[in-house]
Amino acid sequence: MSNSSEILRLPAEILYKSEIDALIKNETNPVPAGWQMSPKSVLTYIMGGKSGNVTITPKYMGDRKIVEICIATLVTDRALLLIGEPGTAKSWLSEHLTAAINGNSSRVIQGTAGTTEEQIRYSWNYAMLLAKGPSFESLVKSPVYNAMETGTIARIEEISRCASEVQDALISILSEKRISVPELSEEVAAKKGFSVIATANTRDKGVNEMSSALKRRFNIVVLPAPSDMETEIDIVKTRVAQMADNFQLNARLPDDSAVERVVTVFRELREGKTLDGQIKLKSTSGVLSSAEAISLLVNSMALAGSFGDGTVGDSELASALQGAIVKDESKDKAVWTEYLENVMRKRGKSYSGLYSECKERNQ
Amino acid sequence: MVYYFGVRHLSPACAFYVKEFLNRCRPEAVLIEGPYDLSSFISSLCSVSSGMPAAILAYTKEAPVKTVLWPFAEFSPEYQAMLWAVRNNIPVKFCDLPSDCVLAVKDESDTEQISDSERRFSVYDYIKKSTGLDNDTFWEYNFEHNENYDDFISAAEEYGKSIRDFSENNEHNKLREAFMRRVISETEKETGSGNIAVITGAFHTYGLKNVSFSEEDRELTENLPKTEAKATLMPYSYYKLSSHSGYGAGSRAPAYYEILWNNRVKGTLSDSSAEYLSRIAGYQREHGFSASSAQVIEALKLAGTLAQMRSGNMPSIADLRDAAVTCMGHGSFGEISLAAADTEIGLKIGYLPEGTVCTSLQDDFMRQLKELKLDKYRSAAGEQLELDLRENLRVKSEKSAFLDLNRSFFLHRLSVLNIHFGEQSYINQDNATWKEIWKLQWTPETEIQIVEASLSGDTVEQTAKYILNGSLNEAQSLSETAEILSHSFECGLPDTVKTAVSAVGRLAADCTDVKDTGDTLGTLSSVIRFGSIRRIDTAPVVPLMERLFLRFCLGVYSASVCDKAAAEEIVRVISKVNDACLSHDFLDEERFVLVLDRIADSDTVNPLVSGFACAVLTERGKISSKKLSELISRRLSKGTPPADGALWFEGLSRKNRRSLISRLSLWEKLCNFISELDDEEFKPVLICLRRTFSEFSPSEKSDIAENIGEVLGISSEAASEYIMAEITSDEKASLDELDDFDFGDI
Repeated sequence: MSNSSEILRLPAEILYKSEIDALIKNETNPVPAGWQMSPKSVLTYIMGGKSGNVTITPKYMGDRKIVEICIATLVTDRALLLIGEPGTAKSWLSEHLTAAINGNSSRVIQGTAGTTEEQIRYSWNYAMLLAKGPSFESLVKSPVYNAMETGTIARIEEISRCASEVQDALISILSEKRISVPELSEEVAAKKGFSVIATANTRDKGVNEMSSALKRRFNIVVLPAPSDMETEIDIVKTRVAQMADNFQLNARLPDDSAVERVVTVFRELREGKTLDGQIKLKSTSGVLSSAEAISLLVNSMALAGSFGDGTVGDSELASALQGAIVKDESKDKAVWTEYLENVMRKRGKSYSGLYSECKERNQ
Repeated sequence: MVYYFGVRHLSPACAFYVKEFLNRCRPEAVLIEGPYDLSSFISSLCSVSSGMPAAILAYTKEAPVKTVLWPFAEFSPEYQAMLWAVRNNIPVKFCDLPSDCVLAVKDESDTEQISDSERRFSVYDYIKKSTGLDNDTFWEYNFEHNENYDDFISAAEEYGKSIRDFSENNEHNKLREAFMRRVISETEKETGSGNIAVITGAFHTYGLKNVSFSEEDRELTENLPKTEAKATLMPYSYYKLSSHSGYGAGSRAPAYYEILWNNRVKGTLSDSSAEYLSRIAGYQREHGFSASSAQVIEALKLAGTLAQMRSGNMPSIADLRDAAVTCMGHGSFGEISLAAADTEIGLKIGYLPEGTVCTSLQDDFMRQLKELKLDKYRSAAGEQLELDLRENLRVKSEKSAFLDLNRSFFLHRLSVLNIHFGEQSYINQDNATWKEIWKLQWTPETEIQIVEASLSGDTVEQTAKYILNGSLNEAQSLSETAEILSHSFECGLPDTVKTAVSAVGRLAADCTDVKDTGDTLGTLSSVIRFGSIRRIDTAPVVPLMERLFLRFCLGVYSASVCDKAAAEEIVRVISKVNDACLSHDFLDEERFVLVLDRIADSDTVNPLVSGFACAVLTERGKISSKKLSELISRRLSKGTPPADGALWFEGLSRKNRRSLISRLSLWEKLCNFISELDDEEFKPVLICLRRTFSEFSPSEKSDIAENIGEVLGISSEAASEYIMAEITSDEKASLDELDDFDFGDI
């Protein structure tokens, strides 16, 4: 691998190598087969805490119970399905779980409409196949195949976007825990520790509805949107700081009031009412998740760094909000105008600057 | 030697080990935390014909009624200790403050309890901090799942001690403990050997153990505050026991704890988890959701792993629920919430031997049941009862002549008391104001409701009065008060009727809302109509109605200038007042007709109201046919906005459709009106007319078709066939498009 500082986005196991190493070093609890640390240490890795004298940063801010269920599911050799709105940290959680359990989060299949059954099972290196005939050497193994062989965890992103016959290919793998290669009249059995973490999006419901046979083979955990304002502000602040560090943006971090205002606007539009519950709001066509709020703030930092004075001010926030909220010109614009006039205008001084900037852009 | 056993209330493990404890120390007397003066209830509680849950309820005689409750379940350690003592023929009594004293000091202790729980919070916080578990889960892992007597006793001792260390003792608890020490010392002297067992909350054990009864205690407990109080046993329900419905000392999951208890008694404690999950699955299957055995097995495995991660040996209820949500609820609690409520809380209701539930209200209830010959309806199977409120002329005594009327009074009073013994079925009472149909059913809950109602009074009649008077004082609006007035009539309470009439009069003076006034007129009108049959003097209602009627006539015109939503309401009350006007001669009919005339003629009021006023006048024959046809022409002419015209027609057709159908000229005008519309105008009209005609019956529709056929010059059969035909899909599609039609300002 090339110099890691040049890589745009490092995988979790490299980014948090010191933490993982410390947890492995200080392990006191029994470690399940195929895992590199005990379930309790995985929990500490995700939720934060201390290991020896190394501080473990929290990776997932939210209900501890949910993470416990996820880890316990993987211990019982069941597959795990994470479901949630876009931007509720499904992939994030799945990446960190595999990073902590296996030290390798890279066995990923991205589910798309074009994903084929071969990408789930195996395909052939045709040059080799022609030259040598069917043999294990000419086999191109999928991440799932690899995971079975090594007794580790494979990830499948956006499983509900795959066609149903591709999803069905998973059923036998998950229940029999073996892949047959009829061309070689061989069968490969999974080693202990093999499992699958899949993610699915509730907004895509009905795209390729998962069959109940497949659903039955998963333990399903629903990831909620952050339950309260403070948690969400916390999540947004932490992630913005991490990303800004990564991208080396020439801008100062947005101050707390900026984060708070963005999160407030997002929460209110997402829930369709103001925080105090007094005013009902229309909701927008786009998704306004915490992940969107994070990218919005990073976006406005980039704006400020490249074209402004390096501080995220009202005008940068307004531009970014306009872009994030108004996705469908005719409908969202009206929603946004209504929000500006009925809610933000009446919020008083702390919002007045942002209000006039937003209004100007939403003309 | 005094043996102490500190318990946690409603804990199956404590209940199980307290028996073991008693078997080991073989005391000559048993003392249990509970009201000292109510020890006599113990024998009824332990009777073979009692089933838990049950509770001891003490309440003050005077209003405001204060209550205090001691609930027991099968798995209450206190209950198991009582059972043990009764079965072994060993004297047993309660040793806590007497109930009248608890009630007397209740106000103070209530406020103190809040600070008490704040302090206790810190103990639980400490547990949370050091183990990451909430208190209930911590207790379940370490105590409920413990299967070794010695381990349990020493762990419980330590737990009780630390709860005490972490909280300060308040004055009320000091008094309680001083009293308990007094009872202990007295009992010690009474029994020869002084071998007694004391079963109290773990918190108190350390205030009793190794602390002897002192002179100070004697002074403190010499003159206890007192208040006049009564007490009774009452059946209780798991639902009430679960903290969902209020009472302090409860258990969040009584049905689940019962599973733990039953399995512990059987010696199969570890089966509890499987039982919980299978019950959830069973409930789901019964209610049409899929829940396979494979899912139960997966859930059991997951719950086990979760417990391990949280350092328990066996899954706690939190682990089990999480596992059930994940494996059977597809990740959302909503899918299994009903199953969880059923499995965790349950519907169990206790029962007590006949005659042990003794409140005077209960006695009165039973006496009246007998008197009114209703006692045979006191069964679990629901039975129908038809009442004829009129005087029965074939019998001699007055009592039997009005038997059904008195039954009706009694049942109405019960529903005011919130005792659901009888449920009135609503029948179409157009001609039969003297008939009532009730469905009577006796459930164990009824008994609980009677005990609860007894807090407000001693007899059914008195309590009903008390409750109705209370709600009269709280009622804000006129129509609300009138409702109460009509309830008082139904309950046969002349005194309350009087109070209610004056309350209505008072509120009526300030009421300017036409809708409220109209509703009240409707209610009062039925009171007068029903009143005579109920043998209550309705004379005072008459002047009241006259006043309200006048006010209604004065206000209704200006209230009719309104939007569509309000217009529906106005139409409703006009119709009510019209009915009232028709049935009471003392109301000034002329005035009513005059104002309706004005509304019918006006173009400024809402067209729906205007059309309806016209319909009422037509029905009463107070409009000349010339005038009517003039109005129809004007409303359905080019000058009026088409949507208004259609709305007006809707109002007109709300009443006496027959007479409309017979007016050929009306249909002629309607046909002309429609055919002159252009496409844009047609849409709103179509929506209104479609709604209007949807309420007509098939025969009415075919008559209309006949009319239209005549107007358009086609045969009536053809027209009728066309109207009755099923709607085609093309037509349906274009009608569906209209669903989003925006009426603008109409």
